[in-house]
Amino acid sequence: MKIRNIVVRRLLQLVSVALGVTIINFFLLQLAPGDAAQVLAGEAGAATPEYMAALRAQFGLDQPLLVQFWKYILNLAHFNLGYSFRHGMPVAQLIGERVPATLLLMGASILFAVVAGATLGAIAAYRAGRIADVVISTLALVFFATPLFWIGLMLVVVFSVWLDWLPVGGMFTIEAGYTGWKYILDVARHLVLPAVTLGLFYMAVYTRLMRATMVEVRRQDFVRTAVAKGARPPRVLFAHVLRNALLPLVTMLGVQVSSIIGGAVLVETVFSWPGLGRLAFEALFQRDFNLLLGILLCSSIVVIVVNWVVDFVYTRLDPRIRFA
Amino acid sequence: MSELVSTLAITPVTTVDAPASLIAAPTTRGWFARLLRSPSALIGGVLLLLVVLMALSSPLLFPGDPLDMVAEPFLHPGVDAAHLLGSDMLGRDLLSGIFHGARVSLLIAVVSTLLALVLGVSGGLLAGYYGGLADAVLMRVTEFFQTIPSFLFALAIVAVVQPTLVTIALAIGVTAWPSLARLVRAEVLKLRHSEMVQASAALGATDLRIMLRDILPNTLTPILVSTSLMVATAILTESSLAFLGLGDPNAVSWGNMVGSGREVIRTDWYITTIPGIAIVITVLALNLLGDGLADVLDPRDRK
Amino acid sequence: MHKTVFKLLAATAITLAFSANAFAQTRGGTLTAIIQPEPVILTSALNTAAPTGFFSANVFDGLVEYDNDFKLRPALAESWDVSKDSKTLTFHLRKGVKWHDGKPFTSADVKWTLENVWKKIHPRNQIIYGTVTGVDTPDDYTVIIRFSEPSLAVLSSLNSNGAQVLPKHLYEGTDILNNPYNNKPVGTGPFVFKEWSRGNYITLERNPNYWDKSKGVSKPYLDKIIFKVVPDAGARAAALEKGEAQYAPFSPVPLKYAERLAKLPGLKLETRGYDWISPWLFLDVNVDRPYFKDARVRQALAYAIDLNAFNKVVWYGFGKPAVSPVVSTLKQFHTDDVPKYGYDPKKAEALLDEAGLKRGADGTRLRINLDYLPYGDDYKRSGEYIKQALKRIGIDVNVRAQDTPTYTKRVYGDRDYDLSVVWFAGFADPLVGVTRAYWSDSVGKNIPWSNGSGYRSAEADKLIEQAQSSASQTERVALFKKLQQRVQTDLPSIPLLELHFFTIQAANLKDTVVGVDQIYSSLKNAWFDSAPKVANATQAAPPQAAK
Repeated sequence: MKIRNIVVRRLLQLVSVALGVTIINFFLLQLAPGDAAQVLAGEAGAATPEYMAALRAQFGLDQPLLVQFWKYILNLAHFNLGYSFRHGMPVAQLIGERVPATLLLMGASILFAVVAGATLGAIAAYRAGRIADVVISTLALVFFATPLFWIGLMLVVVFSVWLDWLPVGGMFTIEAGYTGWKYILDVARHLVLPAVTLGLFYMAVYTRLMRATMVEVRRQDFVRTAVAKGARPPRVLFAHVLRNALLPLVTMLGVQVSSIIGGAVLVETVFSWPGLGRLAFEALFQRDFNLLLGILLCSSIVVIVVNWVVDFVYTRLDPRIRFA
Repeated sequence: MSELVSTLAITPVTTVDAPASLIAAPTTRGWFARLLRSPSALIGGVLLLLVVLMALSSPLLFPGDPLDMVAEPFLHPGVDAAHLLGSDMLGRDLLSGIFHGARVSLLIAVVSTLLALVLGVSGGLLAGYYGGLADAVLMRVTEFFQTIPSFLFALAIVAVVQPTLVTIALAIGVTAWPSLARLVRAEVLKLRHSEMVQASAALGATDLRIMLRDILPNTLTPILVSTSLMVATAILTESSLAFLGLGDPNAVSWGNMVGSGREVIRTDWYITTIPGIAIVITVLALNLLGDGLADVLDPRDRK
Repeated sequence: MHKTVFKLLAATAITLAFSANAFAQTRGGTLTAIIQPEPVILTSALNTAAPTGFFSANVFDGLVEYDNDFKLRPALAESWDVSKDSKTLTFHLRKGVKWHDGKPFTSADVKWTLENVWKKIHPRNQIIYGTVTGVDTPDDYTVIIRFSEPSLAVLSSLNSNGAQVLPKHLYEGTDILNNPYNNKPVGTGPFVFKEWSRGNYITLERNPNYWDKSKGVSKPYLDKIIFKVVPDAGARAAALEKGEAQYAPFSPVPLKYAERLAKLPGLKLETRGYDWISPWLFLDVNVDRPYFKDARVRQALAYAIDLNAFNKVVWYGFGKPAVSPVVSTLKQFHTDDVPKYGYDPKKAEALLDEAGLKRGADGTRLRINLDYLPYGDDYKRSGEYIKQALKRIGIDVNVRAQDTPTYTKRVYGDRDYDLSVVWFAGFADPLVGVTRAYWSDSVGKNIPWSNGSGYRSAEADKLIEQAQSSASQTERVALFKKLQQRVQTDLPSIPLLELHFFTIQAANLKDTVVGVDQIYSSLKNAWFDSAPKVANATQAAPPQAAK
């Protein structure tokens, strides 16, 4: 009974967010001067008013706003994300083509941020006050303060051009035509710089967070109790301290996922990574309402789902918190 | 990025503390003295002061328009005494740009943060105090903002209404207030049913008075800490927008300078790096200050 | 005597060796080219954007090709005749050409494309083929186009970019603009479309049945071309430097790097191949604004900008100060005999005073906006430079940034602007690219890249219309020269620079430029030369794959 209530509530939340995103997107693009027909005419190199009128009729842009909006909602109800007239493809297909690259980039950067951040934070907490701690904390502060695109550019210059260790951009070496293991390794090489760039900011966050919470938790009663009971330090560290310190980390993970598309726009631009961030950016300038909305909806759904998972993991980590 | 504000501002805990300690707020003299003793707050404060001084002194030290083409293009730093930090691709003096840019970047950051503060604090207060419909509405709105990446949202707004100093500041402020509102709301909820509030109500104080006199001062801690982080985030957001080509072309901001130097980064990296460093230092200062404030004002942290 | 003979023999040997090498095009290799921005669709019949033009010329042939002197060479058309009254144009098509899907290329394809695509959809061709009354195809290889009035401009636009023929059997009866073959094109050209991974790359492979042979060997020489999408200018420079890409047209790297990259031993900077585009950068002045109605004010603007410094500082010398919208490389139509506006700020100020725009208490005469073409940093810097130049004569300029649809709507639709920095392609005949900037018919109709200034001159219109329907090229040349004199006197639009685009390519990639329209022409003649620079009379080197 409770589970059903929870599920219903969650689904309602999903629907209301989807509706909200649709409304905002629709009206935002209406505010922007020019429409998709204007974009196409500009790109085509010239146009006549008849040509543009024909385009508008084709895209349904000549109908009243509410009619257009209603049509879109209807489509959505049938899980149809619409058609991108500029790309000449269904939106779902366009997004589908770029989803693997996006997931790869985001997954890798999140993994990097969490693993590196948690490790460094733990080390800093364990050696609190000493040189290792000072160095790690300072680095974390600096990475937290540095603009993402600037780091990306500098990394390209250092690792790709000066040292020639890693490729300049793109997702894989097309001309080589690798398959199997070679392909995986090739993609991995191309993934390193973008994932690190995207993840550095959050790595700094997790480092500071981990350090702060571990220092905090270590001082708490139950840790001292465990030590008094004779538990040896490693067990104390892993079983108790880490488990409790992971809670805020998990919360932040939810936040990171939601803001990562914004950062992805910058990283994908610098590294020519064929992901959804850049596609959304371009869709905005092309007034491609269907495409932009499709991407935003997908990202919103992902964020909501991830937050559900985070909530669930939360309850597993701390039995005192109830799933609500 | 602005979602970080709420979580980083409060030291993470898993249980809610007893409200009693909140009522006895530390005395003014006490916390300022403690602030001075906190190393991070001290360093952060001094750095920030330097930046603010730079901003304020720019019209005196560098009269004239920083956009004027006064030198040979691509002068490297240290080569010409008249242009200590060199010049950019159109021959504009970089040192003048840094000083004037401090003013513009800080202005955008401060205005957007003020906007976020006004919206966020009032929204959080109202939602937390009145509960019910106001609360439900606020929760839905903030939830919604959390699912749309705030940077993308700011990007969309600026792209649609075209970039000027005003629109950029507005866009950043409008996308930053939800997390602050949630923060304030959480704090207000803690205090809503405290004895102090009940006492004031019994004495016949109006809702407004209770909110402003009793609740608000006790929520200042996380708000203050958040503020410095929001200013920092605003600077980073503005520079990212400029990098993507959405900066105001008539103003000299650090973000604009970094963006314009991007194309020549391989040979004349200083054009991008120098304003980049300015950004890093300022953001760092704000973070350190925020850390210091959090340390000092945290009621549980009695050293 | 022996010495002389010996020298002669040696010279002959070396000459022979050189020529032997010159004919030893090696087959093979994959070329990685950079294409930026990513094309919208892959055929130039429907879209005249630059990346589409660059790409589609490899998949589609034109009716003719142009050589380095703007002269026509046979392509899909083996020969052609223009009737004495210039009202009939006949093409004799090449026999035995096949589309990439195996079907034969015939006159029916040309007729269909002309009637349904060039006349109805293609923006430039609508004007050029506007007076076509009928197309006859007496047999599979003859096309007779009948005009009600001559349209000699057609002859300048018959290459793959101007006259791209689409396969009738794949397009007839379909919704042309949404036809799936727009994104997986089927042409007759040297390369066959393989794959388009959006946001990533497009690949082409050699057409084994291509009609163009050289010494019995069928072109192209390259096995494969990969067009990579690289949005960041710095990343493009790095890719070229590292050899990850070997061909990048349309000024792919920041201008400042061009010279530096060109000096690297493995790379070469090529400025040839763009003349057919005849591009010129100009400042459109909104003549409907009250303060711009007086020609003296517009002329003052021209006097205030030092074009030589502008060229050097903003465009790093990749341009030439312009005196007319028809660029100097278009020798047939260009004239120098026009009013000139050299850098003279004193004169500018005098003119402004005369026109009644005196300096106010704060030194400002006028406050205006400037909108620049949002295609990149070069145009932004141009706007910023002009802002500073005009500041010196007392005009306060507010530079505005916006995206492309906002810009086109503002300048060509709402006309809510003062100054606009933009470039047009003039192409090989002023009627195709230049006259649109001055013809009054398109003002305010929201037609992008047309008459932005709002210039309405009965005389200019008449000159344009006469040139459009004149049957004599000599007469047309005279008319265009008169037009240049007229518009440079009235100056509704101030030409700034003749732009010099450039290509960065690998030094060992040969024969990439064979005509003035190379940028919109295929790479069928290109080959990788792995032989050393010193003359070597031995056989051709083995095929070299790109790194």
